[in-house]
Amino acid sequence: MNFNPGDLYGVLPALLLAAGALVLLTSEVFLRPVEPDRRYQAWVAAAFAFAGLWASLAQLGDPAQPLFAGAAVSDGFAHIVAAVVCAALFLSCIVAFSYLESLRATRGEFYALALFSASGMCLLAQATDLVVIFISLEVMSLAVYALCAYLRRGKRPAEAAFKYFILGSFASAIFLYGAAFAFGASGSTRLADLAATVRSGSATTLVYASAALLAAGFAFKVAAVPFHMWVPDVYDGAPAPVTGFMAAGVKAAAFATLVRILVSGYGEGGRWRGLIVALAYLTMLVGNLLAVPQRSVKRMLAYSSIAHAGYLLVAVAAMGTSAPRADAAGALLFYLASYGATVIGAFAVVAIIERKLALSGLGDDLSSWAGLSEKHPALAAAMSLFMISLAGVPPTAGFMAKLTVFRSAIEADLVPLAIFGVITSVAGLYYYLRVVVYVYMVPEAKADAVQGGRLLSAGLAIAGCALIVLWMGVLPGSFAALAQSGAAVFGR
Amino acid sequence: MRALDYLSPYLPVLILLLFAGVLCALIGAAATFLGPKRITAIKETAFECGSPSIGDSHSRHSVKFYLVALLFVVFDVESVFIYPWGSLLRDFQAEGLGWFAYVEMLSFMATLALGLVYVWRKGALEWNP
Amino acid sequence: MAEAVLFYLFAAGVLAGGSQVVLRRNPIYGAVSLVGCFFFLAGIYVLLSAHLIAILQVLVYAGAVMVLFVFVIMLLNLKEEELGELRFTFWKVVGLVAVLATAAVIAWRALGPAYPSTGPARDNAILLAAEGFGGVKAVGRTLYLAAVLPFELTSLLLLVAIVAAVVVAKGKI
Repeated sequence: MNFNPGDLYGVLPALLLAAGALVLLTSEVFLRPVEPDRRYQAWVAAAFAFAGLWASLAQLGDPAQPLFAGAAVSDGFAHIVAAVVCAALFLSCIVAFSYLESLRATRGEFYALALFSASGMCLLAQATDLVVIFISLEVMSLAVYALCAYLRRGKRPAEAAFKYFILGSFASAIFLYGAAFAFGASGSTRLADLAATVRSGSATTLVYASAALLAAGFAFKVAAVPFHMWVPDVYDGAPAPVTGFMAAGVKAAAFATLVRILVSGYGEGGRWRGLIVALAYLTMLVGNLLAVPQRSVKRMLAYSSIAHAGYLLVAVAAMGTSAPRADAAGALLFYLASYGATVIGAFAVVAIIERKLALSGLGDDLSSWAGLSEKHPALAAAMSLFMISLAGVPPTAGFMAKLTVFRSAIEADLVPLAIFGVITSVAGLYYYLRVVVYVYMVPEAKADAVQGGRLLSAGLAIAGCALIVLWMGVLPGSFAALAQSGAAVFGR
Repeated sequence: MRALDYLSPYLPVLILLLFAGVLCALIGAAATFLGPKRITAIKETAFECGSPSIGDSHSRHSVKFYLVALLFVVFDVESVFIYPWGSLLRDFQAEGLGWFAYVEMLSFMATLALGLVYVWRKGALEWNP
Repeated sequence: MAEAVLFYLFAAGVLAGGSQVVLRRNPIYGAVSLVGCFFFLAGIYVLLSAHLIAILQVLVYAGAVMVLFVFVIMLLNLKEEELGELRFTFWKVVGLVAVLATAAVIAWRALGPAYPSTGPARDNAILLAAEGFGGVKAVGRTLYLAAVLPFELTSLLLLVAIVAAVVVAKGKI
């Protein structure tokens, strides 16, 4: 038997989130006939997300220890990722509250599914066993597929969910194939045993075939380039608050697991680095190139999410060398947090605009952003801030994040990759700043204001994201210190 | 002789398969050769519970069948996870792990029981949408 | 020798069934081929002494999951003209070649050296099978004692699947 009740404390954030989901489901089915007003659910979900955030930050100082006989681990890296996921969930719940209210689609399953997926993400960051990784991955993915199809109005959400589901299942199958090879090579599903096999140098080709397949499975989830086909349609079709949560949470969890598998499982030898470097080049190039012609802001943000996966892959590649591994891991965590805050804010603004478009029956096009600065100066300022943060211009979080990632790449002797990253970021300025141009400089064609009323909660979330983005950009010290403390487990 | 060692436990399975196959062939052959055949027009029509069949059988089915089938599969998989537990519980008890196994399965079932309650209260098992 | 013959028999069945699933235009034929594929796969599991998995393969996959597949096919109810022609486009041929080449490279370079056809592995398997490997109790012990976390997570996964199915498929929530 390998169970010790104390192990449950190690997975506390995931437990809290799952408990929140169970509470919401129960209240959804039992309170329904009595209480038709279900607005409380967003706040219950946000409270559980906040509890998860608090728990993961409270555990940050604890020494790293294996849980469930090595099936999972409780360490700083996992806690920071869990904190990012919980913060993303917290903000997304607040955004979703006003979004769903105005579309009259508030139902308990939305928040329950969001909490379930976040619980899967937290466990994914902690898992050190391929079976646990797979099940957590599926808990996360199934919930997110359902969230994409949540609105069920028109064809696009259904198409998005269907595409995501089919391709996601295919990626899971590739992951399982790789896991089978890893098991075949090492006789165990634990990453530690896999690392021992890699160190002993036996069954080399089988080991590297499994590394490639496992990486391919997660390259799909993080939207790296040969596996990026689903991203634009899914980001476009899903409800905007869900898209923001997906971009922040799924990416954080999937990158954490990718790093865990590659560094903890295949760390010695580092022959996977070439693979990741190639993926990073392709992803940065294609993501930025394809974002340029997009007229729909949601699709542009989808391609931008691909491009950012490329920059994150640079950090992963930098972990392929032994020297500054902790620096690169810290850069990765910092980047994940900054990208999460920025993209949730951006999609929250998109949610407000999208709601207006849904009510007026217009398509999502840059022209519907024209003149936003006159009607809603605060919203326009926030959107511009998020755009320049995504572009990586100081004094924003995006700039500091890119700086740390490229610095860690240079320390790891990946100078050409860093230079390529800088060049593609400069190219990315064009399509990010175009949104700012439309918001501020193109005069408005139609004079219909965004409906007020329930904007308040979304506005609060946007303000929170903007604050984080500025804070991480101007005074990155405390965040960088947190990221470094989380990355210390990879210190060597 | 090791090949025999490995596969010899399956000899009864093979005998059973052969027996089943021979029996099927025998019964089929007996029916073909011994039974009389009188084909009439009414026997050639499709038989659907006695009532006359109307329209094309290739009609589109409602999506609620799918939901029921999906829920069936989920609970079917659940039963798969419970079955070995049932056969092992006495062993666990003898090893002093009885309570552990009991609580472990209880939490597993409680989670899924909530799923059942959810499906029930949501009316997903009702026949009318 | 005998088990090698059986293995190649079952493997040929799996491949034939699987390729029929992909190549058949009528989805019902595809579904039935998939049942055949599952049965042959169950045979391979038996050769590996994974008896419980073999039975589950038949009960759950060939039984329950196939019901789901057939339901979907009935729901869609594609007409003959909607099925379209079976065409070999350029990219399909490229994909086929890529898949076959990858499979060949993996078999030749990775699986071949890792699993030599002679060696102690087979004797080991016979000994394990004699100890009840792959039976209900052995699998159960692994499931309930060694894999506590994945086991409990599975209940969460099934619950998420239930909720997701209701959210996506139920007419009126």
